[in-house]
Amino acid sequence: MVTGIVAFSLFIGGLAQWQSSDTGEGWRFAGYIQRWGPCVLVCYIAAAVGVILLGWHCFTLAGKITSIARLLKEKLTAENANKGIKIGNSALSAVKKPAIIKELNQAIEQLLAKSSEHIAHLENQIKDLQIQIQLSQRREKNTEAIIYSIRDAVIVIDEFDKLLMANEAAGKLFGFDFKDSRQKTISELIGADHRKFADLISHSRQTGGRATRQEVEFFQEGTPKAFDCIISRVYDQAERICGVVAVLHDITREKEISQMKNDFVSHVSHELKTPLASIMAYSEMLSDGEANDEQTRKEFYSVIQNQAKRLNRLIEDILNISRIESGLIKIKKEPVSLTILIEEQLQMIKSYAEEKNIEIIGQKPIVFDQVYADKDMISQVIVNLLSNAVKYTRPGGSVTIKTEVDEIAGLAKVTITDTGVGIPESELGHLFEKFYRVEANKNVAKGTGLGLNLVKQIIEKVHNGRVFVESKVGEGSTFGFELPLAAREAVEVTQR
Amino acid sequence: MSGKKVLVVDDEIHIIHVVAIKLRNNGYEVITADNGAEAFEAALKEKPDIVVTDFQMPVMTGLELIEKLRQCEQTKNTPVIMLTARSFAISKEQQESLQIAGCLSKPFSPRELLENIEDILYQRELIVDNR
Repeated sequence: MVTGIVAFSLFIGGLAQWQSSDTGEGWRFAGYIQRWGPCVLVCYIAAAVGVILLGWHCFTLAGKITSIARLLKEKLTAENANKGIKIGNSALSAVKKPAIIKELNQAIEQLLAKSSEHIAHLENQIKDLQIQIQLSQRREKNTEAIIYSIRDAVIVIDEFDKLLMANEAAGKLFGFDFKDSRQKTISELIGADHRKFADLISHSRQTGGRATRQEVEFFQEGTPKAFDCIISRVYDQAERICGVVAVLHDITREKEISQMKNDFVSHVSHELKTPLASIMAYSEMLSDGEANDEQTRKEFYSVIQNQAKRLNRLIEDILNISRIESGLIKIKKEPVSLTILIEEQLQMIKSYAEEKNIEIIGQKPIVFDQVYADKDMISQVIVNLLSNAVKYTRPGGSVTIKTEVDEIAGLAKVTITDTGVGIPESELGHLFEKFYRVEANKNVAKGTGLGLNLVKQIIEKVHNGRVFVESKVGEGSTFGFELPLAAREAVEVTQR
Repeated sequence: MSGKKVLVVDDEIHIIHVVAIKLRNNGYEVITADNGAEAFEAALKEKPDIVVTDFQMPVMTGLELIEKLRQCEQTKNTPVIMLTARSFAISKEQQESLQIAGCLSKPFSPRELLENIEDILYQRELIVDNR
């Protein structure tokens, strides 16, 4: 067979050479024979023999293939017969062949149909998965949007304490940028100042339940801040903790307000109880017959009356401040002359000043000093400032009241200057706060610490004016206020 | 209990006046002060048998006065009754550590105050007699 292949190759090679010859000189066989003589001839004979042998070999191989095919067919037929499918026997007749083909076609079609169904099912599954992925991404975006829009600091960490999500408030509080901090551990991100928070998170993992709530305090930009910290544990399907969500709500202001409210209630109750204590004690003494003579009884009645008035004033002041702050007070504004109002109030304070041997220096009337104001409220302001001036001035001193008008600026200015004890500079900023009293002057005169706050509320909140104070310890103080002048035309129209 | 000396301290003149009348009517000798610092001076000078003091006063508060009284050998055992308009201003611990004999909240009854003073002084006398 090999010889045959070699000879055949040579034959083909020679043929190819002949066909590609440029000379076109007849048959190359003759050339070869002339050059190589018998050797070539032997080769060609061997080739011929090879071709014959190859042909025989092919013939026998075809016979063998046919036999194998027949055997296979018989075997297949037998197997099908065993399975109950009668598609023919070893000697398949020409009539049965189309039936088998038909059955095969049906089987193939069934297989194809099943495959199509399977493919369609897989395609649906892929679509479902894609939808789920999209939904999951949308949910994540929603969660991110919710977390970013929350004012409270929110931090989400995984089971290894690595940061998954944090909003701007959290970044600001702990001093990190979320974009550069993802997947960093919480201990890497949180400084020593916030160690308590990190400890709280690790502690929360060890405790049971869904959430832990605790108040924590940090320093933020140098100021102490209080936070209501809620740490919620996230559980997986196997009920293992797979993450933690921490929300920190700044309660500093709430605590301050609560403290202010407590202080206010405490102050108010103290101020109310003081005159009430006198009223109750003196009335009990009267009913127990402890006032031995008419003079003592009269004295007791007088104390009760004065303390009741004091109590009423105090309640009125508290209510007025509260009404102004809440915007519930009824305001009746009209053009009023400050000079006239001051004259009226000076008459009221005169006897008190004379008792203390304090000179009151008034002012010359001003042509136009009308302001558009609530008469009763401004009267209250003037009397509060005048009585304070007399109260904190030692006998022999003086109190001067002056009104100035700045027509260009459209302002009327009232100043009340005393030669009293004065106020330390460090306390000037607090004077108009509720219940604030200058410590050093507490023994000089009684007071509730509400009068100046009421002055400020009336001038600034109700009349859009301004209050001011200047003082020097041992020399005296000047308190005053500015109010916008009423328009002349409006005043004339009102007066008509 | 007549003849016993009571120091009454309050920045409210009306309160001092009413307490003083009640006590004097019942045979007590009364000395007064309108702040803690003045009261401490008076306590050293007059050696009262009992002190009745307000809680909130200028210059020196009632608590500061008691602390000073407890630090001084002459006055460390003088019983003190506190009058206060601030409820819960003094804790039980403070009351015990400063040996405050009694606390009355304002508004108070002069009758009740007198009963308290008499009880405390009576118990003091019993302790002294037993020694």
